[in-house]
Amino acid sequence: MRLLALDEKALALGLKRHQGLAEAKAMCPQLDAVAADAAADLRFLEALADWCSRYTPLAARDGTDGLFLDITGCSHLFGGEENLLSDLIFRLEAMGLAVGGAISHAPGLSWAAARYRMHQPLESRIIRPDTAGAVLSPLPVSALRLEAETVPLLMKAGLRTIGDLMCLPRAPLARRFGSHLIKRLDQALGREDEPISPRLPVAGLSLERRLAEPVAREEDLLFMAGELSRGLAPMLEERGLGGRLFELSLFRVDGAVFHVHAGSSRPLRDPARMEALFAGRFTALQDDIDAGYGFETLRLSVSHAEPLESRQMDLARPSRSTEGLADFIDQASARFGAGCLMMPVTRESHLPERASAFVHAQEVLSAADHAMRSSQPYRPARPIRLFRYPERVEAVAEVPEGPPVQFRWRRILHRVVKAEGPERIAGEWWLDGEEALTRDYFRIEDEAGRRYWLFREGLYDREPGVPRWFLHGLFA
Amino acid sequence: MAEAALAQGKLLSLRETIARMEGKPLHRLEPVPDSAVGRPGDVSVAVVNHDRIAFGIEALDAALGGGLVRSGMAEIRSGSLRDSGASTGLALSVAAFVMTRQEPQQGRAVFFVGEPSVCRETGELLAEGLEDHGLALDRLVYARPRKLDEALWLAEAALSSRAFAVVVLEIAGNPARFGLSESRRLSLKARDSDCLLLLLRQGGREEAGSTIFRLEASPASSGLHLLPDGTPLRGTIGSAAFSLAIEKVSASASPLPSQGIVLEWNAHERLFTCPSDALPAFCPEPRPANPGAGLPLPADRSDRPQTLGAVLAFDRAS
Repeated sequence: MRLLALDEKALALGLKRHQGLAEAKAMCPQLDAVAADAAADLRFLEALADWCSRYTPLAARDGTDGLFLDITGCSHLFGGEENLLSDLIFRLEAMGLAVGGAISHAPGLSWAAARYRMHQPLESRIIRPDTAGAVLSPLPVSALRLEAETVPLLMKAGLRTIGDLMCLPRAPLARRFGSHLIKRLDQALGREDEPISPRLPVAGLSLERRLAEPVAREEDLLFMAGELSRGLAPMLEERGLGGRLFELSLFRVDGAVFHVHAGSSRPLRDPARMEALFAGRFTALQDDIDAGYGFETLRLSVSHAEPLESRQMDLARPSRSTEGLADFIDQASARFGAGCLMMPVTRESHLPERASAFVHAQEVLSAADHAMRSSQPYRPARPIRLFRYPERVEAVAEVPEGPPVQFRWRRILHRVVKAEGPERIAGEWWLDGEEALTRDYFRIEDEAGRRYWLFREGLYDREPGVPRWFLHGLFA
Repeated sequence: MAEAALAQGKLLSLRETIARMEGKPLHRLEPVPDSAVGRPGDVSVAVVNHDRIAFGIEALDAALGGGLVRSGMAEIRSGSLRDSGASTGLALSVAAFVMTRQEPQQGRAVFFVGEPSVCRETGELLAEGLEDHGLALDRLVYARPRKLDEALWLAEAALSSRAFAVVVLEIAGNPARFGLSESRRLSLKARDSDCLLLLLRQGGREEAGSTIFRLEASPASSGLHLLPDGTPLRGTIGSAAFSLAIEKVSASASPLPSQGIVLEWNAHERLFTCPSDALPAFCPEPRPANPGAGLPLPADRSDRPQTLGAVLAFDRAS
């Protein structure tokens, strides 16, 4: 076992990375070594990225130990770049992290400055585009985010600092060390754009509220959500949009961030209904949100918006019921999940279990306008209740391929009084293969008047195996 | 004179309020004369009633005091789960009936809250079958909550949304958590929101509750298919038939019929009809006790011994 990471105290004691654990323990008996957990580290870094979305929605994770924040157009909200950086570092240090940060016009330059000028004063880590060269030139070549094998090659050639590279002609450099080196150099100097990939999708619209005093009670959170929705409504109205998916981000004082999503079955702008959506979500989440010492910042964003055309009210009949239906579907979905309400649809298939399906009501409602229905040719009646798995029955038929005379289902003998059939449904060979068995369905009424749907799976002599009888459904 | 008329009007409005609170039918157009009060037998069925939808079957309408209520809670139950085909069928027929009679103008929908254990025992609803039964699929919302509490919440929220004309709440047996207070709460909610709540009790005993009426649905043998010229086709299974036993009517005007009423559901016309007496009762052809040796398989017992363990169709998952 080896040491993978060390804190400052351990470094001061003379321990090194990749040192054996036994050796390190011998040097320092009170060493507190924790087993490495890369996945947990990653989760922590991602949680930090979420936390950083208080500064900008464009927060991206970089490798295993860094974050990129695109603060274009955000810094004035915090009183300038310097205040933003000092606030960020102060808060992270208050969490017990050792943090370095820098602001510049290029991600590569910020990366280098944050790591190699960590101990310099804050002002010198905010780099103007015109001083990029001067800042970079004294830094070692490893500050360019190069591949592991390139750095020793450069060292061997006597190129120790970035300044050494900058004064050399580019073509020979590229020939000898690869184009990657030139690309990284250009990225660090801001000559080449480098996109960062934000962790979370950027919301089209969002509204944020910072609180002087953290809130923890559900009613307060709900009230704040209502306030934010009221603020968001005019913004949506201005753009002629209605939100379909909303996200409420709750920033806890200790840095944890919770995202509460609420969806609507149709574009939505009414603040009261947005608030009602979140009320449903809060009831459903219950203990999933641990308020701890309270939430200090709340943000409501519209993750997905659609045009909301204004509709003329119908004089003859108010269309309140469709609105009411959509409201009800939203309310129930917010509480029990989108799969809670379903609507039956028919599919094109001969097999009864495939011909009927239940689809989420939200989807059906939003797709109702352009739903296509093909009219089906005549088919015999179908039962109202269908068993998911047909139940085996022992049936007795007078003639092998004829309807049963009596059958035993769940240990009760039923004598058949009337029978209709067979309706022969062949297997769907394009899905089930050639050996799928044919079914002969019979509609059957017993002495008490109960009506059943029985089928015989397989044909005598023509299909392999001995046919078996199943009960598949109940008629009204 | 004017004072007397005023007092009369006040009395009438008070009566109306009391009747509404008790869930009794309101006879708006023809106020019951004073002499008739206290003699329920006198109220004739022909009174024009806007709170009721007549089934069109005289015996049933008379027993229910004018037909099906437009708003409120009614119960349909089946004595055992194997009769759930009949009870589900009747509930769905009533829903389709209300939708046809009442809803074309209002555009409301039907909400069916299923019960998981009933679905396991007697199968899930089938879209094609519902269509055949006379329901419009685009106006039917279905939910299958995991617990009774969720089902009650859904039913209540659906009633308050006023988006549904009929809410069918299916429950299995007589759960302890669905008692008098829940029943009262739902019935009040249904009455307020102008919606018919059908409590579909599958395989349960009679239980007190604040329902307007309670019917026990049991299967009845169906009629025959009619050929285009009107002659019945022997041995066929016609429209679905139910046998109803009226167990309770909260504001009963006439004594309850002692025997069951048999009615058929015509899914095509979306109408309840009486089975026609003109048709002879179907009797199966007599079968010899011993069919003889000419048949390939014996008809008096199964073609193979009983298999052990659970056997399911569909070897492959479909």
